[in-house]
Amino acid sequence: MPLIQILGAGCPKCKKLAENAEAAAKALGVDCHIEKVTDIHKIMAFGVMLTPALVVDGQVKAVGKVPDVEAIKEMLR
Amino acid sequence: MASECCGGAKKTVLLYACSGGANVAEASDLAARQLMFSGCGTMFCLAGLGAGIQGMIQTAKDADVNLVIDGCPMDCAKKVFEKAGITNYRYIRVTDLGVEKTKGVRATAEQVDKIVAKAKEVLAAV
Repeated sequence: MPLIQILGAGCPKCKKLAENAEAAAKALGVDCHIEKVTDIHKIMAFGVMLTPALVVDGQVKAVGKVPDVEAIKEMLR
Repeated sequence: MASECCGGAKKTVLLYACSGGANVAEASDLAARQLMFSGCGTMFCLAGLGAGIQGMIQTAKDADVNLVIDGCPMDCAKKVFEKAGITNYRYIRVTDLGVEKTKGVRATAEQVDKIVAKAKEVLAAV
């Protein structure tokens, strides 16, 4: 089961990113676990400078933007 | 972290300075800090890119602009970008601005001002 992490303080963009990630996983029929990471120290440990950011199984996929569902589907494939 | 958490309307500009030991490196570092503290962008870690830290490389790839300030024709910072596959960058070389590379000499305010002015010109064109 892939682990999808949403890095960010919890602003509307972070929430939108989580929604898109969930929709992308659902569209692909992928059973995944979505975790929201709000702790600034944990976020910086990924080497991420901007939020929101999307991490899939430890790989940072997008930083400082909200990819749409189609783009996230590509990241999950 | 960049000052605009969760993406403000401004373009994301990341700044990288030469990390050498000569005056041109000191000048590039001081210029990058001056640019950062005047709100032109955020300094980011060139060494992290060189070390292949995946999250840092992705941060640079997803930034609107990366401004690389290399000290001399060795172009180390630019080569770090090329090696990491980061293409969305603009580039300044301090020695191209008439600053001679010298060891054991401090950078001057005039040299820093030249770099800052050039950087602002480059960023304005983006």
